[in-house]
Amino acid sequence: MTAYIIRRLIAAVLLLLVVSVATFAIFFLVPRLAGASAEDLASRYTGKTANAEQVRVMAEKLGFTDPLPVQYGRFAKGLVLGADYSTGPTTEHCPAPCFGYSFITQNPVWPDLLDRMPVTLSLAAGAGVLWLVGGVATGVLSAVRKGSVFDRAAMGVALAGVSLPIFFTGLLALSLFSYKLGWTEPGGSYTPLTESPLAWARALLLPWVTLALLYAAGYARLTRAGMLETMNEDYIRTARAKGLPERTVVLKHGLRAALTPIITIFGLDVGLLIGGAVLTESTFSLPGLGKYAIDAITNNDLPKVLGVTLVAAFFVVIANLVVDILYAVVDPRVRLS
Amino acid sequence: MIATDATLALVLGACGGTTTGGRGTGTGATYNAGVGQVYNPSTTKGGTLRFANAGDWDSLDPADTYYAYSWNFIRLYGRQLVMFAPEPGAAGAKLVPDLAETLGVPSNDSKTWTYKIRKGMRFEDGSTVTSKDVKYAVERSLDKQTFPNGPTYFNDFLDLRGYTSPYQDPTPDKLGLKAIETPDDSTIVFHLAKPFSGFDYFAQLPATIPVPRAKDTGTKYKQHVVSTGPYKFESNELGKKFTLVRNDQWNPATDPIRTALPDRIEVTIGANADDIDNRLISGNLDVDVAGTGVQPATQGRILSDPNLKKNADAAATTRLWYTSINPDVAPLDNIHCRKAVEYAADHTAYQRAYGGPAGGDIATNLLPPLIPGAKQVDLYNFGSKPGGDADSARQELQQCGQPSGFATNMSYRAERPKEKATAEAMQQALAKVGIRLTLKPFPQGDYFKLYAGKPDFAKNNKLGLMTTGWSADWPDGFGFLQQIVDSRVIRASGGNTNLSVKIPEVDHLIDQALLTTDTNAREQIWAQIDKRVMEEAVALPGVWAKTLLYRPPTLTNVFVTNGFGMYDYLTLGVQNVQK
Amino acid sequence: MTAPLDVSGLATEAHPEAALAGMGRVIQGRSLGQIAWLRLRRDRVAMAGAAVIILLTLVAIFAPFIVKVLGHPPNEFHQDLIDPTLQTPKGRFGGISGHFLFGLEPLNGRDLFSRVLSGAWISLLIATLATMLSMVIGTVAGVVAGYFGGWVDALVSRTMDVFLAFPLLVFSIALVGVVPDHAFGLSGNGLRIALLILIIGFFSWPYIGRIIRGQTLSLREREFVDAARGLGARGPYIIFRELLPNLMAPILVYSTLLIPTNILFEAALSFLGVGVGPPTPTWGGMLSEAVRWYTVAPNFVIFPGLAIFVTVLAFNLFGDGLRDALDPRGR
Repeated sequence: MTAYIIRRLIAAVLLLLVVSVATFAIFFLVPRLAGASAEDLASRYTGKTANAEQVRVMAEKLGFTDPLPVQYGRFAKGLVLGADYSTGPTTEHCPAPCFGYSFITQNPVWPDLLDRMPVTLSLAAGAGVLWLVGGVATGVLSAVRKGSVFDRAAMGVALAGVSLPIFFTGLLALSLFSYKLGWTEPGGSYTPLTESPLAWARALLLPWVTLALLYAAGYARLTRAGMLETMNEDYIRTARAKGLPERTVVLKHGLRAALTPIITIFGLDVGLLIGGAVLTESTFSLPGLGKYAIDAITNNDLPKVLGVTLVAAFFVVIANLVVDILYAVVDPRVRLS
Repeated sequence: MIATDATLALVLGACGGTTTGGRGTGTGATYNAGVGQVYNPSTTKGGTLRFANAGDWDSLDPADTYYAYSWNFIRLYGRQLVMFAPEPGAAGAKLVPDLAETLGVPSNDSKTWTYKIRKGMRFEDGSTVTSKDVKYAVERSLDKQTFPNGPTYFNDFLDLRGYTSPYQDPTPDKLGLKAIETPDDSTIVFHLAKPFSGFDYFAQLPATIPVPRAKDTGTKYKQHVVSTGPYKFESNELGKKFTLVRNDQWNPATDPIRTALPDRIEVTIGANADDIDNRLISGNLDVDVAGTGVQPATQGRILSDPNLKKNADAAATTRLWYTSINPDVAPLDNIHCRKAVEYAADHTAYQRAYGGPAGGDIATNLLPPLIPGAKQVDLYNFGSKPGGDADSARQELQQCGQPSGFATNMSYRAERPKEKATAEAMQQALAKVGIRLTLKPFPQGDYFKLYAGKPDFAKNNKLGLMTTGWSADWPDGFGFLQQIVDSRVIRASGGNTNLSVKIPEVDHLIDQALLTTDTNAREQIWAQIDKRVMEEAVALPGVWAKTLLYRPPTLTNVFVTNGFGMYDYLTLGVQNVQK
Repeated sequence: MTAPLDVSGLATEAHPEAALAGMGRVIQGRSLGQIAWLRLRRDRVAMAGAAVIILLTLVAIFAPFIVKVLGHPPNEFHQDLIDPTLQTPKGRFGGISGHFLFGLEPLNGRDLFSRVLSGAWISLLIATLATMLSMVIGTVAGVVAGYFGGWVDALVSRTMDVFLAFPLLVFSIALVGVVPDHAFGLSGNGLRIALLILIIGFFSWPYIGRIIRGQTLSLREREFVDAARGLGARGPYIIFRELLPNLMAPILVYSTLLIPTNILFEAALSFLGVGVGPPTPTWGGMLSEAVRWYTVAPNFVIFPGLAIFVTVLAFNLFGDGLRDALDPRGR
């Protein structure tokens, strides 16, 4: 077991390494291939009236004149060991994990990321609970009443749900519930949970529901399919034959088996969402990691983009890891493969 | 109703500043009550003033900031040599001494400027402010490696002789710059490499706010700028929020200007723009610090609701939205083809792209009317034919040898919906006379550095028209025009804001203006430059921008200052003190 | 064999074994294709989806003519119909009338009907071509990984893991952002469209790759492959003559199901501001502008949004039906 976990951990670290190299390449290699010089890149980060000499000095300061592997090495070293940065009169140590300083505001990136994380975590957690409960419940009911009006309606809604872009439903919901009816908060509101749990939930209610709607649809379809499959298994027939109440058969025997793959997917979805709720956060103007990434890309603030991408990949990798390990715990056969 | 208000705004704008004092309290709120006069005057001290910023402050460090709102706000915690008078309207564009006892005294043909610093000035830690602290502050602002965001006027005009930064200065007191002398603790003398008659405008830059060398932490100084003003930092979470409290070392006796009404100032950074609007309207926020006006949807909401509208001001600014016409790109190298563009453009559509009449007035030339000395000239019938003058355009096309029109490209900043709307409107309007535009969006972060502002790129990619905007660094001909019409500021390496103006005569006139110490004469030269640029048809003026500002009724001493084109932050107070 | 009339139809639902075993072989004188077609034809929901897809394709192709008859040129301004103070269309419901079937855009007063219709081809073109690209990459990678196994499989699988771990949207936006205006001999919208197809296609292949790899793994162990190998057939022969024909069904199904995902992907990129440049109308781009207007001009949100929704739903319904009909056990 321990060996398996260690193997998975090493794979996870390697994966993060590859992601960081790829991100780095996109921002530093692609522009170079497209013909941009170190000065072209640096000129974005000088004041609006900088002259050629000032741009050159900036290119050197930001390290753009070094070969790319050296630049990457410096970045990776900062992540693991921290790095020293000049503040002008002195130098300062930026402790690991050091994602560097914003090229624009010169604020350190890591505290920013920590600051944005709770927003995205709140969004993902709240929506996740909603869609898991809603999706699974709908799926079970549909499976039990297969072919009924409820089943057809639910599955119809589910298919519609996965076909709706969040930036459409989100805008509609904002327009109706927040602007016209005034039931919910307008876009852009966010209060930390620690400040006021009520305001926190109120502000996130609309994003949660819209996001959950999108995902619940898929989960309902999955649950229904899984349930229909397991309900045909022999052991279910045995359970029924024993005279167990249908409720027990469905929930204890049927659902349990159908739920395993759902939980796997749930883990992965939540992991992906933490790093990629870009659309939801943009639609509702939530100050989370996704919005941070978009703003950073708009400003060409590379250290911020690198930071967000790595943190996002980290969450996906962690989610993968947790799911894999849980699987290994449940099913010893996995460890052998 | 709307028409009447618009006229009122115009009248007030025209004679702005002549009426001071003015109308009553919260109950007397009317549209534009904060334009040209003080709305809700009060001397009540106390309370908390709450600001919010939708963006990220470039920096709180006086050496590293280049936003008008930041220059407006910084006066709360720092005192520069001179500053814009906190007065409504045009009076707010006048300079008054702040740290200095008087405005600068020129000598040596405006190449040497001397200031005397007031006695009894202290930093927040109680130590005395001397002229050496001012010199050190200017020195560090020269270091563009550490402070890239700030303006480069001192770099460009001081007689540096190779001096780069106090951080690389071998002299023990780090005051090795020869271009600034401090013969005694209260005198500071600036030596310029070339004459400049408007040096007082440089002396109002935040870079002249004194910085004690012992407390200078370079890029980290912005976390706790050592105050010389009435407020000092209590706490500061970068990129999130900061709080200012009263500075007990600030002596009102040395400061005839600042009223310092509120006890506390709280600023939230990185808030959502729509959220800011909503909070302003609901009274949970006092000022949107960026001063660039409410969001478009909020604007419609405010203007259509009389109860909200009475708490709003349409503030004229020194911002011009315009389109550069690039003479490097054929057939626009022919003046008649350029004139055809001037005639064919739809000015109403341009204005509409920026929010209609509430977003600004149709511009006929470059200098915005609120800049002292600006003269309106209308060479291409903008006023009589706001929808475009197709007949004249066709005549010009004939003369240009392109009777059926021509094709060219138009660039704009991809992230800016208003510029996109402008480009689309231009495409529509010019098509009527056969000028076919292909629209080219570029990322705004690189627009000037790598695309429109890089002469080679613009030429090779045939960017005949380039949308852009410009706002004066300060309300004066130099502050507005120099960076956009002087051909000598164009750098082949990119990063230019002058995209199309290369007229030797204009360069010559600029040199003349730099030498002219008489304000009236100087203003006339700038107006002449403006007209000359229009004659060459290398710029199509779009809109002299206005911003719709919302003032919660609880705010006191509210007025728009021409110095910054937004509310003056130095005088604001709050009515409901016991909150 | 019951006709799957409900709209659900996950792969696991019906009778997968029979269909899979019979793939490419003759059962009771009917080919798999014929069986599938029979089943599909009885699936009214899927057929409805197909009808909508055909209709949309026709609309996309003939949009210029439809617009000429029923609307105004998509880039024509109608500022006389816009309230100068509010910047929104005059009249009720965003200016909907016989002349403007979907009303007007705020600010410029362009005809929403024309713009929504004219936006169709971009969506369909990019999504379809990107899907074909993913299909090719995914199939090649999946077959290679599944057939050769060992380190090849490990390499391909880990690559797919990397792709799935990326925050794709952030990545795609960054990529579009760093590619200059002129590249690969293209410029302007041509370059943008090519770039979008490339990026969407390139980032979506692992979804197909995984499924194909799984299918190949199971097919590899089947008797007919063993038999071919026993008769001395070599790798390429087995891949092209034995494996690929049997993979056609899942490839077809998952490609159909990838199209709607890619339509959403394109819309998302346009929404985030890196889509095809203006004034070319795109659905996602329209929604991105609508963000500033949702409070005062809801029809600016509703019509482009509905267009995306209907298109995506139609592809989903059809893809679902197709999966039921072909029944590859892919999940």
